[in-house]
Amino acid sequence: MKNETTNNELLLSVQDLEVDYSSGGSTVCAVNGVSFDLHQGESLGLVGETGAGKTTIAKSIMQILPDHATKRVAGEIFFKNQDLMQMKEKELQNIRGSQISMVFQDPMTALNPVMTVGEQIAEGIRHHQHLDKAHAKQAAIKMLETVGISRDRIDEYPHQFSGGMKQRVVIAIALACNPELLIADEPTTALDVTIQAQVLDLIKELRRQKGTSLILITHDLGVVADTCDKVAVVYAGEIVEIGSLEEVFDHPSHPYTKGLFGAIPDMYKDVARLSPIDGLPPNPTELPEGCYFADRCPHATEECRARHCQLEHITGTHYVRCLKTEQEG
Amino acid sequence: MALLEVEHLKKYFPTSRGVVHAVDDVSFSIEKGKTMGLVGESGCGKSTLGRTVIHLLDSTDGVIRFEGEDVTHPDKPTMHKLREQMQIIFQDPYSSLNPRLTIQETIMEPLQLSKRFDKTQLPKEAERLMDLAGIEKRFRNAYPHELDGGRRQRVGIARALALMPKFIVCDEPVSALDVSIQAQILNLLMDLQEEYGLTYIFVTHDLSVVRHISTDICVMYLGQMVETCPTKELFAHPLHPYTKALLSAILTVDIHHKNERILLKGEINSPINPKPGCRFAQRCPYATEECHQPIPLQEVTPGHFVACCHVKDINNL
Repeated sequence: MKNETTNNELLLSVQDLEVDYSSGGSTVCAVNGVSFDLHQGESLGLVGETGAGKTTIAKSIMQILPDHATKRVAGEIFFKNQDLMQMKEKELQNIRGSQISMVFQDPMTALNPVMTVGEQIAEGIRHHQHLDKAHAKQAAIKMLETVGISRDRIDEYPHQFSGGMKQRVVIAIALACNPELLIADEPTTALDVTIQAQVLDLIKELRRQKGTSLILITHDLGVVADTCDKVAVVYAGEIVEIGSLEEVFDHPSHPYTKGLFGAIPDMYKDVARLSPIDGLPPNPTELPEGCYFADRCPHATEECRARHCQLEHITGTHYVRCLKTEQEG
Repeated sequence: MALLEVEHLKKYFPTSRGVVHAVDDVSFSIEKGKTMGLVGESGCGKSTLGRTVIHLLDSTDGVIRFEGEDVTHPDKPTMHKLREQMQIIFQDPYSSLNPRLTIQETIMEPLQLSKRFDKTQLPKEAERLMDLAGIEKRFRNAYPHELDGGRRQRVGIARALALMPKFIVCDEPVSALDVSIQAQILNLLMDLQEEYGLTYIFVTHDLSVVRHISTDICVMYLGQMVETCPTKELFAHPLHPYTKALLSAILTVDIHHKNERILLKGEINSPINPKPGCRFAQRCPYATEECHQPIPLQEVTPGHFVACCHVKDINNL
């Protein structure tokens, strides 16, 4: 899959995205200058911890940031050469759900409890493909079967489904109109491991059939290794390392990325003690001047604390934001 | 001698739709200083088992022995003593702390109740415990909402350790935490175990965590124990079809050695009024008519117990 995709057309290009929220009088800098490209057919994993800004990046692409809390948004998000940031709500409505759709973390709350799953899948189809009720229902039945649920259950309500089945329904809704880009925000975090395996295999299979591009948001490096061909590591609202799966997993280069790998118990190696990353992520209301990771970094120097550095190219498509790497060349 | 022995333990919950067999005829024992990992998927009864063992829930049937003494139905003074010796660390550090108590007050509460300490000694003892759990002194008068998840879990640990228990049930203590913080807490739990000879039951759904921390493992499915043996043996030679599927579903960060995944059909069925026999049979690729007969745990290889009537054929033993 990888080799086919590299020559493909640019689908999404995020440039210098910045998002600030206001919270109780202070400004939370949630996203601080994020840029990345996604080509058709590619799958990018956005990895990071709670509060790193992963979901805010996704919501910015969908243009569904909460109005009341969002203080400032800057940057450009080009989807097929159109800047989503400049679009009117009406135009966006035609893109959301038809060309870009999103799968949310918690399938329990993402579904409407008083609509049958059939109606919920058909809703988007009717809106975007202008089908009548009967045809939309036929399409919904087909979609339900695609995600591995029997057509007999089309008139059932969400509470009649288990967690894994609900997430399948959410995926059916998201893929109903054959979007070109699917954004999945922690799609399997609420699920058990054997069910997680089923859902990830389903996403991979559907991507193979339909060529959908994917942005997968997760805190789980194992999920990225399983599903993605590109990785961006997000820390304190910025990308600290980005590259192909092999580049980042075989040669993690940012101290934070290295730290993440050291903190996970290894399934094949016996280590007496894990190597946690000391300390906590910086407070997003008062980010330091220099490197955001400096306070937790074992290699940090005065220079790191004084100057905020850029993403630097290492090899191939591999970029790292670290002064040490920059200096070593 | 085993610190804790459990024999044929059952915990049923009557509901309007029938009886939930949350824990159904489970037996095991844990040696002092060891960690027993309880793994399984949501609803398999692992948390219920942990809570029943320490009497947060009353057992329906079976025997619980602590230090050789039958404590299944303790009287009040015995219960009081047991509470000091058996403690629990909860999964969610957000809801398991009283929002209206400061960190110091939270940690002092068990100390006060035990009446072991003089009032004037309490703050000093609380400070020692905070230090033990790695909580900075400046948080002494902070409330739980002012702390991040990792620090809150440290408070939960300090509170559990307050009276120096012998046995602690860790109920998914790191599931709500980010990986970098998760590693800090796992290291802390292992250090404390080494220093004080603590015995743990470690309840989790995360198999890489359980492999790291446990000496022995019990795999549960729908209230029943399907396989139990030392950790190394389980990961090297899983014998039960469910354990095999569970292990194959683990996602590793090693991109060059991918597991051959055994995809299970369907989902966990209902634990309400279950049919006799193997509860995994419905999803099991090897299931036959025979599987609907009750099947006890059998010692298949030394120290390795499995509840599966086809275990020998499946594994060519």
